[in-house]
Amino acid sequence: MVHISDGILDPLLWESGWVITAIILAYTLSKMKIEDVPKLSVITAAVFVASLIHFQFGPTSVHFILNGFAGVTLGLLAYPCIFVALVLQCFLFQHGGVTTIGINTINMGVPALLAYLLFKYGMRFDLGIKQKEILFGTLGGGIAVALAVLFLSIELATTGEEFFEVAIFVATAHIPIIAIEAIFTGITAGFLATVQPELLCRR
Amino acid sequence: MKSLNILVLSLVLCMALVCPVASAHRVIVQGYVNEIAVKAYYGGGGADPMAYADVTVYATIDGKEEPVPFITGETDEAGMYYFAPKKRVSEYRVVVEATGHRGDEWVNLTEGAGLTEAEQEEAEEEAKLPLKEVITGFGYLAGIAGIAMILAARKMNK
Repeated sequence: MVHISDGILDPLLWESGWVITAIILAYTLSKMKIEDVPKLSVITAAVFVASLIHFQFGPTSVHFILNGFAGVTLGLLAYPCIFVALVLQCFLFQHGGVTTIGINTINMGVPALLAYLLFKYGMRFDLGIKQKEILFGTLGGGIAVALAVLFLSIELATTGEEFFEVAIFVATAHIPIIAIEAIFTGITAGFLATVQPELLCRR
Repeated sequence: MKSLNILVLSLVLCMALVCPVASAHRVIVQGYVNEIAVKAYYGGGGADPMAYADVTVYATIDGKEEPVPFITGETDEAGMYYFAPKKRVSEYRVVVEATGHRGDEWVNLTEGAGLTEAEQEEAEEEAKLPLKEVITGFGYLAGIAGIAMILAARKMNK
């Protein structure tokens, strides 16, 4: 659902999508250490196949995105993760389009980065509960998908579609995805916090 | 007299047998194509139909596509859309669009563009879980991880 195909958006929009993606990629990759790459590859593999898990909900077909999960586990590297996953999805599954990889990466990658920031700064609060990872993982996982839906609706509104109509339609379709990814990210974050805390991103 | 009667009767019968059965009425059979069916569904496993998607059909006349859509409409719940072809136009481009998803396909009536049932099943089979592609993707990622591990190990040895 959130992969925009070729030939829908105005060229100016997808071109600027590429420019912004290139800038964020350059910045996030400059923060990358070679030791992070194996972890990055594993999470990317999960994000890459997640889009194949899909089901019929109402009149449309929705699939998993796992961008919040990438944000919580990879931090800044969630952006290159989403980018690589989208490139592979585009060329191997024909999901989305070649011209729209840039803007699709923004749609899913920027919410992933925001989920990471929420998780990182949320963990600093003393809420008086033990498993804060579960709480902020759940929030991050859900919000990342919701924001991706919002970004998509804004872009589709530029093609002449009614913003609220599209936003409500796409958001309704994604309610189960938001719920499942929130629970999944929350549980995974809680689990990783106990068994393998270094897999969560706190940097 | 009786034998003459029999002779006439047998003559009539012979003539009836020799002549074509429907000699008095020429039978004309014509084939018509009055409906083109379009099916739209999502790939990547499951082949879920693209329900209530916008359909735009462009007619191609003398190899040139008409800039104005020939007909527009919406798919039904099963992702099907039907339209009647324009007179003397056998080539169409069908664009199906639904919230950011877009696909187009050329339909050519002269080339027998209609898929047979077996071909259609094959196409739908291809739209199912792309196991080969999944393995390919995993292969690339495993390769990247492997190279990074080698480089990281070298860095540690130094």
